[in-house]
Amino acid sequence: MSAKVITVTSGKGGVGKTTLTANLSAALAGLGHKVTAIDADIGLRNLDVVMGLENRIVYDLVDVIEGRCRLRQAMIKDKRKTDLYLIPAAQTRDKMAVSPSDMILVCDQLREVMDYIIIDSPAGIERGFQNAIAPADQALVITNPEISAVRDADRIIGLIESEEKGPAQLIVNRLKPKMVARGDMLSVDDILEVLAVDLVGVIPEDESILISTNQGLPVTMAAVDGTIAGQAFNNIARRLSGEDVPFLDLTPKTSVIDRVRDWLNGK
Amino acid sequence: MAVLMSESITIKGVRDGLLIILPNDGDFASVYTLLQTEIEQKHQFLMGSRIILQCKKRPLTEFQLHSILTLFAKHELSLHTVLGERMETRDAARALGLGTRLAGSSTDLDGNVIRERKTAVTTLPPEANSLLLRETFRSGRSVRHDGHIIIIGDVNPGAEITAGGNVIVWGRLRGLVHAGAYGDETAVICALDLNPTQLRIADKIAIPPQENGRKPTPEQAAIRNGQIIAEAW
Repeated sequence: MSAKVITVTSGKGGVGKTTLTANLSAALAGLGHKVTAIDADIGLRNLDVVMGLENRIVYDLVDVIEGRCRLRQAMIKDKRKTDLYLIPAAQTRDKMAVSPSDMILVCDQLREVMDYIIIDSPAGIERGFQNAIAPADQALVITNPEISAVRDADRIIGLIESEEKGPAQLIVNRLKPKMVARGDMLSVDDILEVLAVDLVGVIPEDESILISTNQGLPVTMAAVDGTIAGQAFNNIARRLSGEDVPFLDLTPKTSVIDRVRDWLNGK
Repeated sequence: MAVLMSESITIKGVRDGLLIILPNDGDFASVYTLLQTEIEQKHQFLMGSRIILQCKKRPLTEFQLHSILTLFAKHELSLHTVLGERMETRDAARALGLGTRLAGSSTDLDGNVIRERKTAVTTLPPEANSLLLRETFRSGRSVRHDGHIIIIGDVNPGAEITAGGNVIVWGRLRGLVHAGAYGDETAVICALDLNPTQLRIADKIAIPPQENGRKPTPEQAAIRNGQIIAEAW
């Protein structure tokens, strides 16, 4: 078995790297794959919190690299899925505690026993990003429909290409179809026109995401898959594992009631 | 006794090993480069030595100290003790598991009196060796101490406290505490509000249950029948 290593990155902070990593990992595990998520954000770890595994951390990535434990000991098994593991980052250290070659070594050990390794990259383009991208077979760039996030995504796509990890694939997060319809938000097409890369997913703005990250329960893990964002994440997982899944129809509903409500709200 | 002088880094042979004295001025990057050149030049002479690093008034962060540690490790030098007048330097050294004073000396190797922090009581005999810290430990801070640790302040999630003995938190404990880290199963952890991410005593690990609407009450965690139990304090 040889796993595929996928790095989730964005350049800009706060666009949804950690949320995507948690939900994509859970969704892939839900499809029956063996998945390990790795938090490469040493010193500002979050993936453990979003996945609800914070209180089970005993050893972390830096412990593995510095030889204080075996790799297996740092892998926290998510009991809610059959084959989902998390390797958390160290919180009391910084990016310099890990080198790109360390990351390659860790991933090479995992490749033998996993189907997918999903790496959550820190924001920025410095050492933390270098660490996260070094072992990648595939890079997912996530962005929001706003100019600054798209700028940073453009920069990071260039860096991914110069690391010869390209072509990067794009995910647009927090899209508000109604704002796009009014012309107040960049559309997916606008973003693709600038970035010129393949699109693997569009995730609409969804309040359930905030609730789920606060609860430490990824939406793709919830028993009832009712949320639209959850569907979008699941679709991304299926596309990455080779299925041809059509994109969700996110065009805003234009029922009479909606139009009247919008008119009353002055929109 | 060998005395090697460079532009601003001094290396001396002393009873406990080799003493490297960092200059007080210059930014960390330039001092690091100086140190690197010095070590590379005198590699043959220094190899395998036990190093005592004197930082004097220079504040070093854990990160900076760690990069020095990595540099030393690359040249097969073992950093043993970090001396310095700045509290942050000594905190950083402790967090990395390094000593911050030489046994039985109240002066440094230049003959200057080491000014101990008023709150850090480290001059008691080993069995009463306690570290008193009056501050709030936020995410990412870590403290390691062989004896007991007493904290007047909160310990937030993401902070790590490791003690050879007991740990008392006069405040909210929401992070991670490891008491009896060298295997002492009689060690206890007390807090005014015991609501940790995880507790460890000796080699036992406990994850407290999530209780909704709990009222903060002082509690003490100890090992009872092989399990970590929290009881009213």
